[in-house]
Amino acid sequence: MDHGKKKNAPLRTAGLLANKCTRRSFLKGVSIAAAAGSAGLVTGGCGSVASSEEAKLKWQEFFKKNYRLMTQEEKNATVERLERLAKLQRGLDIQMSNQAPINNVLYGYAFNVTRCKGYMDCVAACVKENNLDRRTKTQYIRIFELDPGKLDPTSGDGKYFHEVPVQDKFYMGVQCFHCENAPCIRACPTKATWREPDGIVVVDYDWCIGCRYCLAACPYWGRRFNWGNPVVPKEEINTKQHYLGNRMRWKGVMEKCTFCIQRTRQGKLPACADACPTGSRVFGNLLDPDSEIRFVLQNKKVFRFKEDLNTDPKFWYFMD
Amino acid sequence: MKILTLHFPFRFLIPVAVFLNCQLAMAGHDSVMDRIQTADQPFDNMQVESAYQLPVKTVLVKEPYQGGVFRVLARKDAISRYRCSVCHTRKPPQARDGAIIAHGDIRINHGQGENELACIECHDRLDRDFLVDMEGKKIDFDHSYQLCGQCHFRPKRDWLGGAHGKRVTYWAGERVVMNCTSCHNPHSPAFKTKMPETYSLPLDE
Amino acid sequence: MTTEPKKGHVAFVSDCIRWFLAGGLVFKIYLATLLIVMGVGVYAYGRQFQEGLMITGMSDIISWGLYISNFTFFVGVAAAAVMLILPAYVYKDKDFHAVVIIGEGVAVGALVMCLLFITVDMGGPIKLWHMIPGIGLFNWPSSILTWDVLVLSGYLALNGLVPLYILYSYYHEREPVGWKYQPFVFLSIFWAIAIHMVTAFLYQGLPARPFWDNPLLGPRFLASAFAAGPAVIMMVFIAIKEKTNFPIDTNIFFKLKRIIVVAAVINLVMLFSELFKEFYTFTHHSLAAQYLYFGLEGHDSLVPWIWTAIALNVLGTLLFAFDPTKCNPRYLMVAAISLFTGIWIEKGFGLIIPGFVPSPMGEVVDYTPSSLEILITLGVLATGMLVVTLLIKPALVILLRYTERHPEQEKVGS
Repeated sequence: MDHGKKKNAPLRTAGLLANKCTRRSFLKGVSIAAAAGSAGLVTGGCGSVASSEEAKLKWQEFFKKNYRLMTQEEKNATVERLERLAKLQRGLDIQMSNQAPINNVLYGYAFNVTRCKGYMDCVAACVKENNLDRRTKTQYIRIFELDPGKLDPTSGDGKYFHEVPVQDKFYMGVQCFHCENAPCIRACPTKATWREPDGIVVVDYDWCIGCRYCLAACPYWGRRFNWGNPVVPKEEINTKQHYLGNRMRWKGVMEKCTFCIQRTRQGKLPACADACPTGSRVFGNLLDPDSEIRFVLQNKKVFRFKEDLNTDPKFWYFMD
Repeated sequence: MKILTLHFPFRFLIPVAVFLNCQLAMAGHDSVMDRIQTADQPFDNMQVESAYQLPVKTVLVKEPYQGGVFRVLARKDAISRYRCSVCHTRKPPQARDGAIIAHGDIRINHGQGENELACIECHDRLDRDFLVDMEGKKIDFDHSYQLCGQCHFRPKRDWLGGAHGKRVTYWAGERVVMNCTSCHNPHSPAFKTKMPETYSLPLDE
Repeated sequence: MTTEPKKGHVAFVSDCIRWFLAGGLVFKIYLATLLIVMGVGVYAYGRQFQEGLMITGMSDIISWGLYISNFTFFVGVAAAAVMLILPAYVYKDKDFHAVVIIGEGVAVGALVMCLLFITVDMGGPIKLWHMIPGIGLFNWPSSILTWDVLVLSGYLALNGLVPLYILYSYYHEREPVGWKYQPFVFLSIFWAIAIHMVTAFLYQGLPARPFWDNPLLGPRFLASAFAAGPAVIMMVFIAIKEKTNFPIDTNIFFKLKRIIVVAAVINLVMLFSELFKEFYTFTHHSLAAQYLYFGLEGHDSLVPWIWTAIALNVLGTLLFAFDPTKCNPRYLMVAAISLFTGIWIEKGFGLIIPGFVPSPMGEVVDYTPSSLEILITLGVLATGMLVVTLLIKPALVILLRYTERHPEQEKVGS
């Protein structure tokens, strides 16, 4: 297949007339021309002071495979390149991990609707932990203030900013629910988003082409798009990063809650669960019969949001 | 001609392909609840090596949870003037400006309306280094859950299981949880109103 | 035009370019205007490429805007070439046979616009090679977007290569060999239906968006496409009849008008069905329709648009249905513009924007395209018009030349 590409590209016009089966080679020719041109655009964005090292790293990063198809060496190599690029471009010393999922783990999350008081410590912690764009105030978590009578976040107000908790109102938080049967995974044309074996739905930011079909497909508004380049003050950047998690993103790619993959694969609670002052967030391993999350599912009346859509999310709500 | 022969059977295969894909998509993974039902083997939490031991003082909880024993944050170190018996001996305490330097500023906001708790309902009348339960048995400050759990037995049951309260930092490794007073001021346990930590944007701005 | 026939690819291309550029002052002004609009569009896109899609009016709630709206509409226009091909090749209608190539030219132009709209909508267009199977990852058959890529490129190939072969043959003063291209023409009939159903399935397959999640969307797309597309083709026919000496029989207008009326009436019936479902029993799923038709929580920016669209749609249908002027070109032009505009609004941003409102979490926002976004859209539209002109003008010259030199052939294209 490879040698066919070069042969067909210059003879494109003639090939169109003579050979009817040239759709593939036409696409290939165009794509090679486009890739070559765009690779030029990629490295062209380096600036005049750029070292050739930076250009070389960016070139290699542009042409790499989808993360899932990489061997372990390739994964390590890309992590090293990204660490080096962070040093060159931002002057940051980061530690990027490509830690694999822990065996026999499936993460689950439970949210206690009675206990949440709308403090939004979780939102603030998430923004700091995951290097979210401060300019557009991107937040993976949204907290709704609801009136009694309807247990439905869509009837709530997500934009409140007053002293909480308000009497006779209650609070519910939503974020990506990491569905087992996620519509976003099915929608992605390049397989840039998938579900890891430990249940976390991740995005390979380098592979995403920014078509936003997954955003349209998600019934929970779990995904965010980088409309512009995200801005994070240098001193606030979290340097403990994971390739599939909180590494620095850029314009034109999708991002979402990753259950703080850089923390959870090291056994830590996600930032939201850790920050909650009222203990409304329960996180753990669904495959561990002794875990807290299993206790909640067993002993509390739990429900999931939009159950009728058959998305099978791993995020439950319960009340005391 | 080649495309012709390729495409016509292709056309008929489309509904078959779509149908098969749907079947495969559903058969490829079990639902969450199915996986949970079949997951009854204990999970070795200690296999997660990066769940390091925390540099905090903990005590072993006197009651087990569904996974066995667990630890709770110790409390005594957090109390600035422990040991209480330094001042509270058999005789009435003697300290100049005692009410100001000690805990005369405590207002009890625990109990509904007029039925506020009195100090000695929780603190041992004879040995101020301990709390006391309704039967007169002494309870160590580190094990305050035994005291709180007398009335708040439902949250206590949930706390043992994990539906109430919070783990300290890790979901894996040895289970260390916060004690009741980590979050609740025992004299005024309800959470206060405050401004949220941040706000969410109006989205059409 | 020389008397001596030239041969070969280069001669063909150079003659086509020459014929495309030939024309009076009005035509030159028209070309210049298109090029200027395209240039401004390129500049605006350069800004978007540099700064990201934040220069548009889109947000995390309404994440598809003017670009995808126009893409959706123009896929329909592209599919409408089938409404000429069907009578010409299946029913062997001689009148349509003469003009079917114009329809295919419009289809190619519309398709080029669609591909451009998708490209300008991408967050990372230089990474589009990630979709190529073999060197990238192609999520087929799960993702409907991949199906769309396949059918659109296939349709472009079909509607580009078949007329190219036919014109190339006529340019070299010979009849195109029937078996070499007619199977592809028949294929393109099914393929045209496919491209528009697949585009509809993009939206129809998302239960997260109740405004789109109804089985009527695919058939509705077809009906509106077969009303709006032929309306465009009719506008092109009128322009050709008034401005050039290429003969277009009046019968063609009558027949095309009939096709448009049938499709437009079916479209209105489907619209009524949708309105009934949304408003007879009002559920949370109907909130999007309420936003579109009546406004929701104070946000009502689309309300005047949709009612204008429906009015234009009904007006266009009635004008075509009850034509007292017996296909007077000016009358048909007004009717075509009315129907086209109505369907463009209703199927464009009258379909895409309400699909996102309210958000899955119930939040309502408005969408206003930014000026750069509008400039890019206009640039793409101008490109499409340029492509259509570029394809049709030389085609007309070639066909005319052939009929002049070979009057023994009844009508070209058979």
